Amino acid sequence: MSLIELKNVSKIYRLGNQEIPALTNVSLTFDEGEFAVLAGPSGSGKTTALNLIGCLDRPTSGEVIVSNLTLGTASSKQLADFRLHHIGFIFQSYNLIPVLTAAENAEFTLMLQKVPKLKRRKIVCQLFADLGIDGLEDRRPADLSGGQQQRVAIARAMAANPHVILADEPTANLDSHTAEELLALMRQLNQEKGTTFIFSSHDDRVISQAQRVIRLEDGRLADDSKESQ
Amino acid sequence: MDHLFLAWKNLWRNRRRTIITLAAIAFSIMLVQAAHNLSYGVYAGMVDSGVRAGSGHIAVYRQNYLESRDETLHFPDRNLITEITAIAGVEEVLPRLYIPALAQSSRESRGVMVIGVDPQRERRINPFLKELNKNSMVRATDSRDAVIGVRLLDELQIKPGQKFVVTAQHQDGKLHSELLRVRGVIKSGMKDIDGSLIMIGRERAGLLTGSSGSVHELAIILTNSDDKETVLGQVSTLIEAHPGIEAVNWERAMPNLANAIKLDYASQKFIFLIILLIVTIGVINTLLMSVMERMREFGVILALGSKPMTLRIMIMTEALMLGLLAAAIGTLLGSLATWYLVSTGIDLAAFVPETLEFGGVVFDPIMRASWDPAWMVKIAGYVTGLTLLASLYPAIKAGRITPVEGMRHH
Ligand SMILES: Nc1ncnc2c1ncn2[C@@H]1O[C@H](COP(=O)(O)OP(=O)(O)OP(=O)(O)O)[C@@H](O)[C@H]1O
Ligand SMILES: [Mg+2]
Repeated sequence: MSLIELKNVSKIYRLGNQEIPALTNVSLTFDEGEFAVLAGPSGSGKTTALNLIGCLDRPTSGEVIVSNLTLGTASSKQLADFRLHHIGFIFQSYNLIPVLTAAENAEFTLMLQKVPKLKRRKIVCQLFADLGIDGLEDRRPADLSGGQQQRVAIARAMAANPHVILADEPTANLDSHTAEELLALMRQLNQEKGTTFIFSSHDDRVISQAQRVIRLEDGRLADDSKESQ
Repeated sequence: MDHLFLAWKNLWRNRRRTIITLAAIAFSIMLVQAAHNLSYGVYAGMVDSGVRAGSGHIAVYRQNYLESRDETLHFPDRNLITEITAIAGVEEVLPRLYIPALAQSSRESRGVMVIGVDPQRERRINPFLKELNKNSMVRATDSRDAVIGVRLLDELQIKPGQKFVVTAQHQDGKLHSELLRVRGVIKSGMKDIDGSLIMIGRERAGLLTGSSGSVHELAIILTNSDDKETVLGQVSTLIEAHPGIEAVNWERAMPNLANAIKLDYASQKFIFLIILLIVTIGVINTLLMSVMERMREFGVILALGSKPMTLRIMIMTEALMLGLLAAAIGTLLGSLATWYLVSTGIDLAAFVPETLEFGGVVFDPIMRASWDPAWMVKIAGYVTGLTLLASLYPAIKAGRITPVEGMRHH
């Protein structure tokens, strides 16, 4: 039983009376502990695929099953709850909450889970140390560099100890050196803690770091290194 | 607790905007509270001088007297004055006879209203008599001393100390005259009073019509006007032993004054309503703006697993905090303004004619506020409620987006 399963998934966006096929007949499975990248040019459907895997959106046709939860039949509330407990998100533009400190941002999902404050702070302090950003707990996002902000975002995604962390172009806003560092860090967390990482990128240097490369082109699955092995 | 914390931080996200909104709400609360307290004080002052010169807080009449002013509808007061004075909260009971009469000096004659009073009691209470010195007051209930309106004095072309005659219809149907002497002059500023009032002892007045020992009105003055309804109940019970006699509050006895106040306050309420409406629209605008520019963040928060309801509650909590803070600051400012208006007041002497009548009483050109704390709390509560109400639409709007839509906002 795989962790995530996409069966013949299509996603069509409607803009007025125009239909935009973002994904067409994509079938994919992910196992626990994978470190996979969705690669492809702009508009190829990477974000769409990640949104489906992350239970943020429902497919037009086909089935998405994440940890035994079938996306099509779950209510929005169930999906929200599922995301809260099982999925971590990292975004291209970090998307930290500007009014909260770094530590408070990292604690956000734990706060939604109603984890007591002291326990929360303990978890986050450990994560900050692991991520090499200890000492920055009380800074506001605006007072952090891009790399530091993305590490805080990783801490936020990791804090609730999810099964899978989804990252949509997590390094696109970072310089190549910082991007490499960050990717190495994610890989390390993947290996040490066994957390599944699925991220998207169109940067070859980033793509080359992944254990599995899934190529999308015009919303279709073009290549999957796992299948071709 | 965490949500309160987050809401509090969000409230200060755009510090300047929040402060401006806060100031607008607080200022409107201050304005409304201060304006209300000022009216409250001015009305209270009018009611006070109105009841003291007029019917009292509570008045006792023969039935139908109030409607008909028929001077045959008097009643013997017997022990009523002593009994009513014994009721807790009653400051004074003023017996009065109202007799329409003709006043004649050696030169002129005028239609007048003769009021037969108990001079000692009346002097303690009636604002028209406040300015009179001791030697100008009617000395006894049966003396021939008269206190008369200043214009009437002029029109009759007499002077203090001089004699004149009043004539009225006696119960027996004949005309009856009494010789009186001007002892004091009333200068109230009110046309009716200054032009036609003659105040004499009640027994002398009784002789005019043959109604000695009777009164048309017992005006009951209270120490504290808030006791009005309680005392009214007690007086009503007391006079059950006297069939045909009724006790009424001043609103019924002096409908002109009551209606003038009601009308004046109604127009003020309307202005309050408009102020609050404008402020509410401003608050809706602020909250909507603050929500619209955070759509992306809301998308992220929803993606992380927050429920739409949590988001809505967060936005409404922000509004509630804004409202409570504004209510606190506004009430503080309102209290300061009221404190100034109570202690110093507003002197309108330069703007209004020397004497101004309002609903049958003289308008005091120095307007002073009076505290109405219950109302201040109420208005602060209303505004907090309105702020919360103003957040409803933004909250619903924010709760309706999906995470993907939210995150596509820039
Ligand atoms: N909400 C939407 N409404 C309409 N069309 C959309 C929407 N989201 C995506 N699309 C379209 O679907 C296609 C796939 O978009 P998607 O964002 O998944 O691509 P992507 O691979 O993530 O691209 P990029 O590298 O630019 O982020 C594109 O043609 C895009 O214009
Ligand atoms: Mg994308």
